[in-house]
Amino acid sequence: MEKFITHSEASKKILNIAQMSSSLPVNVLIIGELGVGKTILSKHILHDSPIFDARVLEDMIIKNNFNKDEYSELIILNIDYALNKQEFMEKLNGIKIVATTSQSLYEIDTLFAIKIDIPPLSERPEDLKELIEVYIEKANKIYNAEVELKDIKIDLTQNGISLKKVIYKTVSSISMDDNEMMDSLEYFISKKLEENKEYRDLLKYFEIPLLKAAKEQYKSQLQMATRLNINRITLRKKLELYSKDLA
Amino acid sequence: MMKDFYEELIENDLNPYLLFDSNGKVKSYNKEAEFLLNFVSIRELFELAVSNASINFGFNQKYISLKYNKQSYYAILVGYANEDEIALRLYKVVSNYTTTINNNKLKMVNIFSLIDLSKNSTLLQSDLIIDELYDISIPEMKININDFLLCLNSCFEYFKDDKKISLQVQIKIGEYEVIENKKYKIVALSFIADKKVVIDSALEQKASKANANIFFNQNELLIELPIIM
Repeated sequence: MEKFITHSEASKKILNIAQMSSSLPVNVLIIGELGVGKTILSKHILHDSPIFDARVLEDMIIKNNFNKDEYSELIILNIDYALNKQEFMEKLNGIKIVATTSQSLYEIDTLFAIKIDIPPLSERPEDLKELIEVYIEKANKIYNAEVELKDIKIDLTQNGISLKKVIYKTVSSISMDDNEMMDSLEYFISKKLEENKEYRDLLKYFEIPLLKAAKEQYKSQLQMATRLNINRITLRKKLELYSKDLA
Repeated sequence: MMKDFYEELIENDLNPYLLFDSNGKVKSYNKEAEFLLNFVSIRELFELAVSNASINFGFNQKYISLKYNKQSYYAILVGYANEDEIALRLYKVVSNYTTTINNNKLKMVNIFSLIDLSKNSTLLQSDLIIDELYDISIPEMKININDFLLCLNSCFEYFKDDKKISLQVQIKIGEYEVIENKKYKIVALSFIADKKVVIDSALEQKASKANANIFFNQNELLIELPIIM
């Protein structure tokens, strides 16, 4: 089972609440943004219980494809997406429910004796640091790389999800050798060719990264033109062409 | 004979009755008033009567919400027949205190675990400081866990934005609650804050569902729960 990171005081308390709730006959609602660890925490409360997405389960109930007697406890993900939450919960009466939601649900608030509000990663710097280290270590192992934190632009728009994604992507691209990079590009271009793209359309996939990197490294247009050994007028034209992407 | 009968009727009435002289001294009162005077001063009741008396001699009824200790009142009657006497009668709200226990929903549990759980989950992002004084000799007891947690959550929620409260949990000495002819000891959870506490009927209903009674007085919120073993 994936571990719920507990390096901050808040997440230690949260795990403690989850463990205490585990043995009690009450429903638990886990509230938090996308990627804060709601599903992982729910598995700390109900270890081996079946997991359903709320919309899928609601649909099963409506179509009489769900036999309530087979379950004593359930994890329900994204209960905020259930269409008729009150009726949905009534149909599950008698089953211990641990549900996740991205927002407070006042209409079924009293059906959950325990509510756990997980703060976003940006408010848990100790957890964020640990999570970054874990993801970098795992990614480095997979890609046989030695990428460090300073090489990565952290993205917390979707908390752990976007963080993991950006770390794996960065490590993957940094660790590629020439052949792997060309293989990757070849695959990418093949897909684009299926969309009937022409030479001119595809050129931007080479030129934008090249100009971005050169701009970052050489700063001035004069330096860029000199080092890349291209005409300054040609360079200026290219920079104007891709001005939006290079901003 | 007839007069005695009326006097007896008033004496045994479930609603408190008091007769004051013009200086606010009590000239007579019934059994319920005697009980009421344990929780409210004579002066306060006299002022209540005077401030609600009719302008001229006569009787004045007024629907007014009052609460003294555990008892609520929904109306008063002020009788004012001469310059020397004024009478006050208070009308009780029908009590909704626990009279039955639903055994099916009770589960043996440590009350302090539930307090901790409710406190930690409700106050996760609060800076409230709680001075705790717990009588740890309180044994495990049967509690309707779900409803008791909902009640506790609302209590902690009520104090969430305060700086500091104290919470005392102890067994009430010498007091019992009688439910279905059985005597139960009482565990009391007393929340004391720096503000005047006022609770709404929704919280009273939550407490009632959890077999508990809830009261407030000045800056104290009190939950009383029978110890069912």
